[in-house]
Amino acid sequence: MTVDREIRRLDLKGYRKYFLNKAMWFAVTFVCAFLLNFILPRLMPGDPVAAIVAHMAQGQSNAAGVQAIYQQYTELFGTNKPMVQQFFIYVKNVFHGDFGFSFSQYPRTVAQVIKSSIVWTLCLQFPAIILGWLIGNTLGALAAYLKKGFDKVLMPISIFVSNFPAFGMAVILLVVFGVSLRWFPTSGGYGYDLIPTFSWKFIWSVIVHYQLPFWSIVLIAIGGQAIGMRSMAIYELNADYVKYSRFMGIKDRKIIGYVFRNAMLPQVTGLALSIGSMVSGALVAEIIFSYPGLGYTILHATMGQDYPLISGTTLIITIMVLVAMFAIDMVYGFIDPRIKAAQSE
Amino acid sequence: MKRIAVMLSLLVIFGMLLGACATPTPQTIVETVEVPVMQTQIVEQTKVVMETQVVEVTPEAAPGMELPREETLYFNGQQWDPVKCWNPYSTDCNNAMALAAGDNSRVTMFETAYLYDMLDGGMYPLLADGDFQWNDAETQITFKIKPAAHWSDGTPVTADDFAYTWDTYIKYNTNAGNNYKPYVDSVVAADPSTVVVKAVLGDNGMALNPLMVKAYLSSTYVAQKAWTQTLEARTGEDATAFLADESLDVVYSGPYHNFYNDESKVILIRDDAYWGQDASMWGQLPAPKYLAHMIYRDNAAGSAALFGGEVDVSQQFNSNIQMMWLNYGLPISTYLPEAPYMIGGTLPTAYYNMNSYGLDNVAIRKAIALAVDYPTIIANAMTNQSATFDQVPRSLMNPTEGEQALYDHAAVADLQWAGNDIEGATKMLDEAGVVDTNGDGWREYNGETLHYVATCPNGWSDWQAAMEVVAAAGAKIGIDITTNYPEWGVYQTIVTKSDEPLPEGYDIFMMWTDGPGPTQPWGRIRHLLSSEFVGQTVNWNGNWGQYSNPEVDDLIAQIPSETDPAKLKEIYTELVRIYLTDVPSFSLMYRPQVFHTVNETIWTGFPHQDDGTNPPVPPMDCTDGWGVACLYNLTLVSAAQ
Repeated sequence: MTVDREIRRLDLKGYRKYFLNKAMWFAVTFVCAFLLNFILPRLMPGDPVAAIVAHMAQGQSNAAGVQAIYQQYTELFGTNKPMVQQFFIYVKNVFHGDFGFSFSQYPRTVAQVIKSSIVWTLCLQFPAIILGWLIGNTLGALAAYLKKGFDKVLMPISIFVSNFPAFGMAVILLVVFGVSLRWFPTSGGYGYDLIPTFSWKFIWSVIVHYQLPFWSIVLIAIGGQAIGMRSMAIYELNADYVKYSRFMGIKDRKIIGYVFRNAMLPQVTGLALSIGSMVSGALVAEIIFSYPGLGYTILHATMGQDYPLISGTTLIITIMVLVAMFAIDMVYGFIDPRIKAAQSE
Repeated sequence: MKRIAVMLSLLVIFGMLLGACATPTPQTIVETVEVPVMQTQIVEQTKVVMETQVVEVTPEAAPGMELPREETLYFNGQQWDPVKCWNPYSTDCNNAMALAAGDNSRVTMFETAYLYDMLDGGMYPLLADGDFQWNDAETQITFKIKPAAHWSDGTPVTADDFAYTWDTYIKYNTNAGNNYKPYVDSVVAADPSTVVVKAVLGDNGMALNPLMVKAYLSSTYVAQKAWTQTLEARTGEDATAFLADESLDVVYSGPYHNFYNDESKVILIRDDAYWGQDASMWGQLPAPKYLAHMIYRDNAAGSAALFGGEVDVSQQFNSNIQMMWLNYGLPISTYLPEAPYMIGGTLPTAYYNMNSYGLDNVAIRKAIALAVDYPTIIANAMTNQSATFDQVPRSLMNPTEGEQALYDHAAVADLQWAGNDIEGATKMLDEAGVVDTNGDGWREYNGETLHYVATCPNGWSDWQAAMEVVAAAGAKIGIDITTNYPEWGVYQTIVTKSDEPLPEGYDIFMMWTDGPGPTQPWGRIRHLLSSEFVGQTVNWNGNWGQYSNPEVDDLIAQIPSETDPAKLKEIYTELVRIYLTDVPSFSLMYRPQVFHTVNETIWTGFPHQDDGTNPPVPPMDCTDGWGVACLYNLTLVSAAQ
C-alpha cells in the first residue's frame, strides 16, 4: 500500500512539473503571438485611413475637404499616434474586452462584426471537422486492418479526394447539385426570401443551405484523415509489441484496441489544431456559396488593412489554438505516459 | 458508451442526409403575411470615445416572415458587405440600396429636387415643382417644392429643409458640402415652398460654375431639418460622431425604408403613405412592395442567383451574359439586345506617369497606346459588353449620343487609333530615335533601356486582363512592360498622392473616369486633364499621372459658363484633339455606369432600348436618377399571362 501511494505521489509530482512546464511555454507563446498580432498588420504597406477616405470622398473635388476628413479619421482611430502608444492603448482596451472600432466597417465595433459572423462559422466548421475526422479515421483504420479490396479501393479514392483543391470540390458540388440538379440552393446561409426566426421553415432552410458548404469541407477532410490514419495504423500493426502480444496469445480484439490508441495520437493533435483554428472560417466555402462567416470578414479585413479587426480575430484564433494545444498536451499526459515521462525528466 | 457514440454519430449523419434530400426553398408564394407595425425606441447613453447616444429602432420585420416573391424585386451587384448606417449625410454607410448621392442619385429612400436622365441629359422634377429658373443675372437658381411632398412622419417638405440641409453639409464638412462649396454660396428659403440656390460668383459677376450649381439640384439629398437637429443634439454637434451616426430613426421622403438587414441581405419595404403617389408626381405607388438584395460574395455567386431566378435586376458584371438567353433560353435581357448590351458610361483608363523615364516623350506614350490590342481587351475582359473603338472612336466623351454629339468627329479623325497597330507604333518610335541600339531586343531612349511596370489593384480581374494586354503590346514594339498588382489598400494610397512624383512600379496604371451626369463631359475632362489636382496630398479627383498643360486648363475653365453650343463644340473638339495628340492617358474600354441585366421571370416592364417611354427611362437598375421611373412601370409576368 505504501509503495503504491509513493508511486502515485511521484506520478502526481511528475505531472505537476509537466503541467507547469507546459503552462509556462504556452504563456510565453501567447505573449509573443499577442505582440505579433498587433505589429504584423501594421507593417503592411499602405494607409487604411486613406481607404476609408476613398469611400467618403469619391466625386469630391475640394482637396481641403478631403484632407479634413482624413485628419478626422486618423485622430479617431489613433493612427496618427506613435506605434508604441497605440500598442499600450490597445493592450489596455483588450484587457477591458474592447477591441475598438473596425476601420473598414466603422462605426461598427470589432465585437459587433465578429459577433454577427462567428455563429455561422462555428456551426459550419465544428460539425464538419468532427464528422470528417470521425469518418476519415474510421475508414483509415478499416483500410489498414481489412487490407485487400477495401484498402485498394479506399486508398486511391482518398488520395484523389484529399488532393482536390477545396475550391474545386466546392465548385463541382455547386454546379452539379446546385445549378444542374437544383437539389440545393447555390448561395446564402438561409432562403433568399426569408427573415431569420425560430421557426421550422427557417430552420429547414438553414439545414438545406448548410449541405453544400458542409460537404465540400467534409469530403476533403475525410480523404486526408483516412490516409494519415491508415499509415499510422499499418506502422503500429507491424510494431514489435503487436507481434509479442500475438505470441502471448492475447486476443486480436484487445491488440487492435492498443494499436488504434497509439495510431490515434497524431490524429488527435491534428483534430485539436483544426478545432483551434476553426474560427478563421472556411474561406473557400464562404466565398463559393456566399455563406456567412468570419473567413471572408478576415480576408476583407486583411485586404483593407483593418488593424483592429485583424488583431481581434487573430487574437481569438491564437487563444483557441493555444487552449486546444494545451488541452491536448494535458490529455496526452494522461493517455500516453511515455510523453509525460519524457517531458518531465 | 461506444454504442451510444456510434448511434449519435449515425443520427447526425442521417439528419444531414435527410436535410440534403430537401428541395430548395420554393419560389412560389405560399402565403402573404400582414406586417404588424412595431416601432420601439430605446435611447441609451453610450460610453464610446465620441460620447454619442445610440438610438435603436427595431425594424418592423415580422418574425419568420417569408417575402412574397411577387411583391419583391431582388437585386444583386449593389451591396457587397453589411449595411453600416442610414445617415443621409454620410458617404460611408455602405448602404447601396438606400444611399448613393451623385450624378445619378439613388432615390429609393432619400430624394433629390430633380432626377437626372442619362439618356437625354434632362433633369426632371421630383421634390421640385416644375423646372428650375436661373435669374437674369445668372447668379441664382429658384425652384418650387411640390405641395404634395411629405416626409415619412407626415410633415411637409419645406424650403427650410433644403436650406438647413445645405448649412449642415457645410457645417459638418460632408462630402456634398466640400464638393459644392466652391460653386454654391448658399441655399435659402424665399418662402416655405420656394428654394433659392445662390451661386458663388466669378469675376464677371455671374455664377462661377453654372454646371455645378445645376448639378447640386439632382446630386444631393435633402434631409429633414427637425430630424437633423435631433441628430445634432444626439451627437453633441461633433462632426465625426455626426457623420458616423447609424441614424436608424432617420426621417425620409422616399418610397422605401429599412425593413430588415443582416450579414446576408438588405430589405427595404415600401411606405404605402409615400407622397409620390400623388397625381403631381407618379400618380401611383411603386409596384414592388419590397426591394431585397442578397449579399453575394462574388460575381459568380451573383450570376448563379440571376440564372436561378433569385435576382430580378443585376448590377454586376455577368460574364458572357448573352449565353443566358441564347444557350439557356432564360427570360434574361440587357438594355441593348446585341453587343455591347449596355450603354457605356465610363472610360476605364490607363494613365501614364508623366514623371517616369521616357514617358515624358509623346512618341513613346502614343506608340504604346497604338500597339494595345483593344479588341482582345473588350472580348476577354468585358466579354464584348463594351463598344469597340471602331464603333465609338476614342475621345473624352462616353458613348452616349448626347456626349458624342458635342465634338467634331471629322476634325480629329486623323488622330484616331483603334489598336493593334504594331507597324504604326514601330515606325513612330523609329522616327523619334527610340531604337534598340545594343541589340538586346529592347529599345533605348537616350541610351537607357525602356522598362515599365503596368499596374492595377489585385483582384480587379477585368482591369488585370487589360493590363496584361498592355504588357503584351509593349513586347511587340520592343518596350519591356511587366505587370504588378498590389492590393487596393496599397494601390490607392500611392496613386492618390499627387504632391510628389509617383514611385517606381507605377508607370502605367489604371483608374476610372466620371460617368454620365449633369456636369459631363466637363467634369470628366477636368478630372482627366486638369493640372489643378497636381500637388494635392490626397487626390481623389483625377489626373493621377500628373499631366500639366496650361492651354488645356484654360479651355476647361471656359466650359462651365459657356452657353453658345457652337463655341462649346469648338472647345470640346480642341480638347479631344489635344488629348489624342498628347496622350497623357488612354481609355482601354467603355464600361456602363451601372450594369443593367434583368430577369423577367417574375417582373416585366424594365427599360429596354426603344421601349417607348418618354422621357426615356435609363437602364439605371430602377433605382438611380430618372431610372427610378422603372419601379412604376413594372408589372407581374403572371398578371400579363
